[in-house]
Amino acid sequence: MSLARNFRIVPKKRGNRSTGSKVWGKVIECALSAAALVAGAIALVVVLVKVVIPEWRVNHQFVEHTCVVLQTRLAKQEGADGALYRPEARIQYSVNGETYVTWTYSIRGRYAASRAEVEKILQSLEPGEEYTCWYDPADPSVAVLVQTYSWWSWLTLAIPGSFILIGIGGVVHSLMTWGKSAERQAAIAQRTAHGASFDPSRRSLPDFPHVPKPASITDSPGTTLAYRLPSVTGSGWKLLGGAAACLGWNGIVALFACVAISGFLEGRPDWLLTVLLIPFLVVGGGIIVYFLRYVLVASAIGPTLVEISEQPLHPGNHYELFVSQTGRLRVKSLEVVLACEEQATFQQGTNTRRESLRVLEQPVYRREQFDVRHGVPFEARCLLEVPAGAMHSFKSEHNEISWKIIVKGEVDGWPSFTRSFPVIVYPPSNGSNGNHKR
Amino acid sequence: MNGPLVRIRFDGNGGTYRPGDTLSGEYRIESVPANEVKAVEVSVLWYTEGKGDEDLAVHDFWRRSADDGDFDLRRPGRFSTILPRSPLSYRGVLVKIRWCVRVRVFLTRGREVMGELAFKLGDVPAARAPLAAALRVQERRELPVAKAVLA
Repeated sequence: MSLARNFRIVPKKRGNRSTGSKVWGKVIECALSAAALVAGAIALVVVLVKVVIPEWRVNHQFVEHTCVVLQTRLAKQEGADGALYRPEARIQYSVNGETYVTWTYSIRGRYAASRAEVEKILQSLEPGEEYTCWYDPADPSVAVLVQTYSWWSWLTLAIPGSFILIGIGGVVHSLMTWGKSAERQAAIAQRTAHGASFDPSRRSLPDFPHVPKPASITDSPGTTLAYRLPSVTGSGWKLLGGAAACLGWNGIVALFACVAISGFLEGRPDWLLTVLLIPFLVVGGGIIVYFLRYVLVASAIGPTLVEISEQPLHPGNHYELFVSQTGRLRVKSLEVVLACEEQATFQQGTNTRRESLRVLEQPVYRREQFDVRHGVPFEARCLLEVPAGAMHSFKSEHNEISWKIIVKGEVDGWPSFTRSFPVIVYPPSNGSNGNHKR
Repeated sequence: MNGPLVRIRFDGNGGTYRPGDTLSGEYRIESVPANEVKAVEVSVLWYTEGKGDEDLAVHDFWRRSADDGDFDLRRPGRFSTILPRSPLSYRGVLVKIRWCVRVRVFLTRGREVMGELAFKLGDVPAARAPLAAALRVQERRELPVAKAVLA
């Protein structure tokens, strides 16, 4: 018998089983989303009214006209990073018999940091000369000497736009999940994913829910056995990353080294720079050595191939395994193991962390002291047994149980290497740990 | 005075099931006036526990609501479902998978009361902490080497 759960005084924070007040949680979530929506809407109106619409009106609604420049001046304003400038011209023009005199240049009247550019603009405006201007038909006292669009004014729309989208999304999510339990939400999501019915006998369920599909590891046929297993060493990416790190670090250090060397050559040595450079040079040298060693290991220890007689695997069953190692090596030991790992992903503050733990490592094959000759790969066959009581492969959003075949090698004169080949273990069809030998 | 209670009972063996078995049972809601129960949800679900954030998936779900004309939701209710082939219950080090029947009762004024009864799907033994000791190179099974190139 089960009794109603007593709620804790100190709430559990993580996971859907959090014991904080759900009503208040929803209220706060909805309020924050609504606040983002309102703030975004206000910001959008401000950007439209102050920036976008005035510029659009100048380009589409203002009336082209002529004016006389009476006077020019360099307007100055003190900004946080120093003085800012803008051009200003006193112009005179007549509309419908009425004469207007005003200081103007562009509609935004934005200040810029470059005094030289502003002075150049002012030099192009000769007092007493006639120029084209554009005036506002709704208020003829407003006129400009240039029609411009600032690209950044359109870009600023993205800021209130993103607030509005986040706000709408949050409010819609809050309203859709309001009063719905975690189970009901999960049921609705699964109903959407697997068809309308929630009757397990009628809906289209996967054969083994939350067990990864074997498609990605069974699409490569083997030459000796049925399937060749893909490797997850990612040596190509490691090589690329190593090359980028090596070039990046040593490129920057080389620039400073050039400065230091030129100082010595000119008879003005910078001893502080030279001393500070030494540890950076040492690290750079270390990166080069590590990278070259990695390249040599990758090229000298050839690829490892693993093939298996059947996929997916089932607990308690035996499978034939074929291992091939190329290269030109004096191998101290080559070992094949079957491993099961648990992986957990969790939020820690604002970071997403992933932890992994090997909970089972079963020896499959081991050979010691042998040579691999160039062009003649080492090849071996062995039997792999999946333990009878083993947990099947499992994958959900934050948790995973994965199986892999690991080949570990120790080679004379080289660092040891490890290569992993994922496999998928299915649950036994009756759920028991039956040890049905094949 | 006792608060609202949810009691859940399984038919039959009461705890361990195999994939494809029928899980059935009954739930009762006690110590609550009939007019205070707005809805009852029954879920057969699994959730994860351990180091990672919780994942949850519902295998089967039923909802009875006063809005649907069900006026006495305190009546004992039955549930029955055919259990899926996976995931099996598992007690690992970082990851644990637990199956349960959860009954959630929605009361007036936004109150909720929940009852939960765990069961085991399959019989996978618990995992043990890092098995470095299992690195023993024994029970090695080796077929005749087909083309091993030896020194």
